[in-house]
Amino acid sequence: MRTLSFVLIFLVVLSACDSGKKPSIEEITSEEEADSTASETIIDPELIAAILQQIPSPLEISVLLQRSGTKYDGSLLNNPDNTSKYNSNYQKAINLGIYGTDLGYTNIYEQNQDGLEFMSAISTLAEGLSIGQFFELATIGRLATNSKNLDSLLLITTQNFNNINAHLQEQDRSNLSVLLLVGGWLEALHVTCQVSAKDPSNQELIDVIGEQKIILEQLELLLSFYSTKNPNMKDLHESFLRLKTAYDEIEITIIPGEPVSKVVDGVLIIENTDRSEVKITQENVDNITSIVEEIRTKAIN
Amino acid sequence: MSEEILKALTQLFAIITRQDGGVTEKEREFVISFFKQDLDQDTVSEYVALYDKFSGYSKEKEEGAEKKERKSKLTSVRDSVKVLGLCKKINKTLVQKQKFVVLIKILELVGSDKKFTAQRMEIINTISTVFNIVKDEYKLIESFVLKDNVEEINFDDILLVNSKPHEEVIASNDKQAQEDDTDEVSLTKHFHSNIDGNLIFLRIRSVDMYFLKYLGDDEIVMNGFIMLKNRVYLFSHGSTIKTPRGSALYYSDLIINFNEELKTTKISFNADIQELRFPNGAIGLRGVKISEGTGKLIGIMGASGAGKTTLLNVLAGIDKPTLGSIKINGYDTNTQKERIHGVIGYVSQDDLLIEELTVYQNLYYNAKLCFADASEEEIDKRVMEVLTNLGLDQRKDLRVGGVLDKTISGGQRKRLNIALELIREPAVMFVDEPTSGLSSRDSENVIDLLKELSLKGKLIFVVIHQPSSDIYKMFDKMYIMDTGGYPVFYGNPIEAVTYFKRITNQVDSFRGQCETCGNVNPEQIFNIIEAQVVDEYGQLTNKRKITPTQWNGLYKENFNIETVEDIKEEPPVTLNIPNKLKQTVIFTVRDTLSKLSNKQYLLINLLEAPLLAVILAFIIKYRTSNGGTEYVFRFNENLPAFLMMSIVVALFMGLSVSAEEIIKDRKILKRESFLNLSWNSYLCSKIIILFVMSAIQTLMFVIVGHLILEIKDMTFSFWLVLFSISCMSNMIGLNISSAFNSAITVYILIPLLLIPQMILSGLLFSFDKLNNLISTRGTVPIVADMMASRWAFEAMAVHQFKDNTFEELYFDLEKIESQADFKASYMAKELNKKRQFIFENYQDENDSVQRIIKKDLRILAKELDNESFKEGIEDLDLSTALTIEGYNKEINTQLETYFEAYRKHYQGIYNQTVDKRDERVYKLENNPDYDYKLNDYKNKYFNQSLADLVTNATVKERIIEYRGEIIQQIDPVFNDPDKPSHLFDYRTHFYSPQKHFLGFYFDTYNFNVTVIWLMTFVFYITLYYEVLGKSLQSFGKIKLFKKKATPKK
Repeated sequence: MRTLSFVLIFLVVLSACDSGKKPSIEEITSEEEADSTASETIIDPELIAAILQQIPSPLEISVLLQRSGTKYDGSLLNNPDNTSKYNSNYQKAINLGIYGTDLGYTNIYEQNQDGLEFMSAISTLAEGLSIGQFFELATIGRLATNSKNLDSLLLITTQNFNNINAHLQEQDRSNLSVLLLVGGWLEALHVTCQVSAKDPSNQELIDVIGEQKIILEQLELLLSFYSTKNPNMKDLHESFLRLKTAYDEIEITIIPGEPVSKVVDGVLIIENTDRSEVKITQENVDNITSIVEEIRTKAIN
Repeated sequence: MSEEILKALTQLFAIITRQDGGVTEKEREFVISFFKQDLDQDTVSEYVALYDKFSGYSKEKEEGAEKKERKSKLTSVRDSVKVLGLCKKINKTLVQKQKFVVLIKILELVGSDKKFTAQRMEIINTISTVFNIVKDEYKLIESFVLKDNVEEINFDDILLVNSKPHEEVIASNDKQAQEDDTDEVSLTKHFHSNIDGNLIFLRIRSVDMYFLKYLGDDEIVMNGFIMLKNRVYLFSHGSTIKTPRGSALYYSDLIINFNEELKTTKISFNADIQELRFPNGAIGLRGVKISEGTGKLIGIMGASGAGKTTLLNVLAGIDKPTLGSIKINGYDTNTQKERIHGVIGYVSQDDLLIEELTVYQNLYYNAKLCFADASEEEIDKRVMEVLTNLGLDQRKDLRVGGVLDKTISGGQRKRLNIALELIREPAVMFVDEPTSGLSSRDSENVIDLLKELSLKGKLIFVVIHQPSSDIYKMFDKMYIMDTGGYPVFYGNPIEAVTYFKRITNQVDSFRGQCETCGNVNPEQIFNIIEAQVVDEYGQLTNKRKITPTQWNGLYKENFNIETVEDIKEEPPVTLNIPNKLKQTVIFTVRDTLSKLSNKQYLLINLLEAPLLAVILAFIIKYRTSNGGTEYVFRFNENLPAFLMMSIVVALFMGLSVSAEEIIKDRKILKRESFLNLSWNSYLCSKIIILFVMSAIQTLMFVIVGHLILEIKDMTFSFWLVLFSISCMSNMIGLNISSAFNSAITVYILIPLLLIPQMILSGLLFSFDKLNNLISTRGTVPIVADMMASRWAFEAMAVHQFKDNTFEELYFDLEKIESQADFKASYMAKELNKKRQFIFENYQDENDSVQRIIKKDLRILAKELDNESFKEGIEDLDLSTALTIEGYNKEINTQLETYFEAYRKHYQGIYNQTVDKRDERVYKLENNPDYDYKLNDYKNKYFNQSLADLVTNATVKERIIEYRGEIIQQIDPVFNDPDKPSHLFDYRTHFYSPQKHFLGFYFDTYNFNVTVIWLMTFVFYITLYYEVLGKSLQSFGKIKLFKKKATPKK
């Protein structure tokens, strides 16, 4: 009798471990064989490189925020503990971009403790994407010490991004560069939108949000190249298309100015004095904010 | 005898003699002499007076003869009533044996004057009926006591001793039988001795008593008393009868003639041991010669250290004499073991009982092993018979118990030990000190039992120490040894006393026993043998008066041992051992029962595993995940350590549960060695029990551990590994258990066996970072391959990583990914670097540079040869192009472009696979059928720490060069092993996803579990042949030789 009950308990224990339907590898591979006809589109790497170069660093937005006097708010940023959630290269790349912006944000506000956490998150993700060599402590450390000098900070990050891009390009993984960029940009826009939502009177921020229309168009174009290759990219592209629709109502007119030349440290520099004027309503901002939040939430979870 | 009884007897005597004419003077004298035997002078007269009163001795003379006749009829009725009353009184107190004595005395009384009147005889008849004496026996006794003429006494239970030659008597009997047609056949037995007249022996079968009387004119002395003519004497154990002319007659020699059973079993035992040397060179026995036939009880005595047990062991065939032989029915016990198998029984001094079993079970399983064909009922009957015979039937359901928790008494244990041998009825038995530590009553019981057996025809040798007089007298012969293995006496026990007295010229030397009480003092013998010289101050010195050698010399002079003629037939054997399978079953059942009855053992063994699992799992259940507070399996950093500890626990439990198994049974094995049972069956039974135990233990460990740590879907696979390793550990335990002789040694050995297993398990110390003599790169060191722990750990780690519910969906892709990534990112670079170096230096004449170039070229050739992607070098002949002589600029350019293509090719594969994997995830997560959330799955089934371990994530150098080979350090779990270098090559790197052997590839998990079982099997072989024990023995021998070489001081 005792043995019988023991056996029963054992069976219950065994069966308890095995509830719910689990996908089996056989099922999946057979499905994959069925639709292995996915078309391969060849994208011209040079075209992509050209577009990537045109997109400004999201760091600029952070600088703008600091200048406008808003306070540091860590809760706006992605949680550095989330790295374990990112398993696919798609997630890793887009979140690497997001963390990059977050790191820049903490740097500018000199929040070193938070910065360290982002650094470790970044190196984890970079490692996962086999681009760890670009995020060694030495490089990131240089970023941290240069927080006061915005120009050199911008220079270093841009250089670093270019290096990464070149490396990925060489490996035919430019889609990751795109995702890095998209992630970074998305996070910057998210922070701006959130700050703006708290302080709707700040026209400068609203203008910045509006100005993103140009960048968005380029990013959307980039994403469209990859949307056929990868279902995640396709989803992302679709959501960017919605964001683009939201931006359709915004008009940007560029008022040309005379180029001005001045001498900085004995070097002649020609500065562009073009100004842009943005027509944007609060309703537009709210709409954009909600779509951005939606895209970001999906990306970071 | 109590007063009451004596009074009753006196009255009985009086009543009988009063009948028909009153008491005669002769009768009265007889009564007085009867009283004198037991009473002192004063009481004798008191009882004589009583007798006279009842018998009317004095009155008779006064009264006239007329009156008598008138009275007689009246009194007879009254007397009869009185007699009945007296007999009933006697019945209540006297045992049957004593009643026979009374009856014989009464008959003798009547016979003393030959007045056999009808009334007297009737009264005696009544007495015998009231005493419940069978008619036939009464008749026998009556004629034995009353008849003076030998010819008239013709019964089966009578033995005549006279001077007629034995052959003649037999012949005349036969003749008579032919002439007279069975009617007048002489039934009496006959024994020849040179005496006048006849000695008549009577056996009373129902109580096994012997009486004798003498009809003749010689002066016959029994036990030191002169026998009166026509007087009946009790013939007790160990009695000796001395005749003036012939040799002494001994109890055993005479009694044996009554025994019919002896005719069916015939045994001759001839031992001639010239010398026995111990392994250390000392001599244990010298010139021992023993010759015996059927039905003897032989005692072996000697001072402590004289070699009694040694002698017994040699006689029993356990030890082999250095010079000489022991033959049973002509078969040598050492060289022809198979012919006499089952003939010998051996009861050692130690308890050879299974303590956890009951008395009945001990016997029952022993019987089952002895009688293959007997049915359950037969075996039960036999067991109960033996138990009843030994007076153990009341105790049959008691557990035997150990030394500390005794449930049956020492005497009962001893008897049970003897019973174990008895049940199969061996023809020759050897019993070592059966009475040591027993009360005198128990001792007597035990020896009584042995005596009875010997009377049934067994030949029994008993080593005995300080026997009491009664016990001493029961032996048929005594073999006395002196220190150093010298025999000093061989013969009748009572003779021994006189012999030693005589040799030392003591007074009274002809008397072996006390004249009045019949006691023998065996101590005397040793006092004489070991008597010490007294110095001038009256102090005893250490010097002996007569040394063992001198005693031995006297022995040689005085004793001439006649060899018993070898009986030319197979010794009787009742043994019929079951086949091997049945033996295994019996052993298993017996062992299981004994384990089940040991509650403590059972409880500890069953609780050990779950308890350890709780402690271990609870402690290492690391609760913090990234930021969260609840426990997530994925982030438990202790999983690899848990796996490792599980293996240690399995090894430990397996070892400790088995380490004592054979040692504990060694005594029982010794006993059973006489049965020639199958060693294989015995081992199999052990293995079955231990494996079942291991299975239960490991299962409980796995279930509890996994429930606490939330390890999912690994229950069976981890259990199988742990079970396998525990079984292997069981086997090691049995090996050491069979080789070493104490449990403590074995337990001391456990760390010695376990710690290397821990060190070389692969987790505690990386195989790459061991001593240079051991360490190898790219393959597991051979020393580690010998450790079961390494196979087990690898099996568990690889299996958990590769086949968990999360990873199994992606493992195929991740493997391609990892391999492609390694080639694109590291291999391509490394090979290209080599190409560069070769190109720059291949024309350099420097020797050391040349050597490097040669090595690099070899590496290149090898890698390219193994490479499946060959675009651009299809037409390149690697064997000539990649040599110093064959290398040139064109080849270099060709290679350079090839490596670029190579890199691109693998990069492409990598990218494709990554996309494919992402796509797979996307599909799964977006398929409503599955409810699949990648992160949930990963949290539940995947363990980061283990993954880092098997992917070697922390390694700095991802690619290294070692002994002319490029070795991948990263992602061992995704790296399929290189081509095997030969058919039997099994060696791969640690955590390899698959293994190769004999040209096939196997899954690591299956392969490793098989390896562990193979080890188990190898250990079984070594256990079966006792390799360890034998090599230890030979190791011991080597040491001894060294000792001997040093000169003695």
